[in-house]
Amino acid sequence: MKGLILSGGTGSRLRPITHTGPKQLVPVANKPVIEYAVEDLKEAGITEIGVVLGHKGREEIQAHLGDGSAYGVDITYIVQGNSLGLAHAAGTARDFVGEDDFVMYLGDNILKQGISEMLDSFEAGEYGAGIALQEVNTPEQFGIADVDASGNVTRLVEKPDDPPTNLALIGIYVFSPAIFDAIERIEPSWRGELEITDAIQLVLKDGYDIDSHVVEDWWKDTGKPEDILEANRLVLQDLDGSLDGTVEPGADVSGPVELAPSATVEADAVVRGPVSIDENTTIEAGSYLGPYTSIGPACRVAGTHVENTVIIGESDISCTETIVDSLVGRGSTLGSAEGILPEGRRLVLGENSDLKL
Amino acid sequence: MRIITHTCPNCGTVISANELEANRVMKCPRIDCGEVLRFSDLSHSDREFFLENVEQYSI
Repeated sequence: MKGLILSGGTGSRLRPITHTGPKQLVPVANKPVIEYAVEDLKEAGITEIGVVLGHKGREEIQAHLGDGSAYGVDITYIVQGNSLGLAHAAGTARDFVGEDDFVMYLGDNILKQGISEMLDSFEAGEYGAGIALQEVNTPEQFGIADVDASGNVTRLVEKPDDPPTNLALIGIYVFSPAIFDAIERIEPSWRGELEITDAIQLVLKDGYDIDSHVVEDWWKDTGKPEDILEANRLVLQDLDGSLDGTVEPGADVSGPVELAPSATVEADAVVRGPVSIDENTTIEAGSYLGPYTSIGPACRVAGTHVENTVIIGESDISCTETIVDSLVGRGSTLGSAEGILPEGRRLVLGENSDLKL
Repeated sequence: MRIITHTCPNCGTVISANELEANRVMKCPRIDCGEVLRFSDLSHSDREFFLENVEQYSI
């Protein structure tokens, strides 16, 4: 069994964060999203992993993951170039996959329960493919699977007006090599992409059984800022916490807090977990970090109240405002305008920024 | 749809034909590889098929 992580796409819904990097490297609980996929594959015993790259961020992703040895896996890069659809991305991996089965995992997805159960289910039968499903409240907005009593897929429909079930396809699939022959026979859809649902439908038509696995725990596609915050909250709510850094006497730290070895919580700062604080970050006196906050590396928080927020890193936060439900990009400065005349906000904003003042 | 790729003989990175055709001559996109790759590294039939159906491989 091999693994394939799809890491293309423009990340347009995550602008301006993705103006300077790929969406797969946006951190959730201080870990880039793509690392969750690598770890899930490794945990399932898959160590040969292909990472499919688009145009955007291909150097950054390679620089981050390297040859995979830091994660105990062996990574081969596959350059898809143009984003011609999930089935095209899978198809570019044919030489890498060979005659093996493989897991295809969207690199901006996070799944709480991992993929081992899904793989066990797939390997227990003679399936042409396996798909992960989750019950959703708005099935008309998703690709939907119709399944029989034994869990075999009988039909896939894209964003149906009259959904046969509320079981949506999420971004994790298991394929036998039969998928490649199907991909060869499909044509681009109306949007010019090779659709993976078309290829799976063809595998079904070819007489293969398609396994389904309903994911009971949470799953997140981290395509939008609010999804990053939600994923951050979901990951942090299971945080055990470890105070490996410095907590000065007089600091008030409670709840699960992950404090990196070179991070510091100074006296008279308050941290209420679950919170993650990364390397070389200092939380200075008078600051308050509330639950579900992740502060990336090399940041300074000086007297600011921050809650349910992701600060990606290398930022200086010293304003007197309360920051909630926010995603702050790398290298940002949030200072105070107090005492500066004329009174008012002073902003240097990049394209596609979104502020509620 | 036929998907055409080429594998870098030096590092094993797989490159799709649209990427090779767009650049014609390029360094392998794997960081630290530097192998020179060409659209002409593809077989004659692959090149011919790609060029005859180039609109399929464009966004």
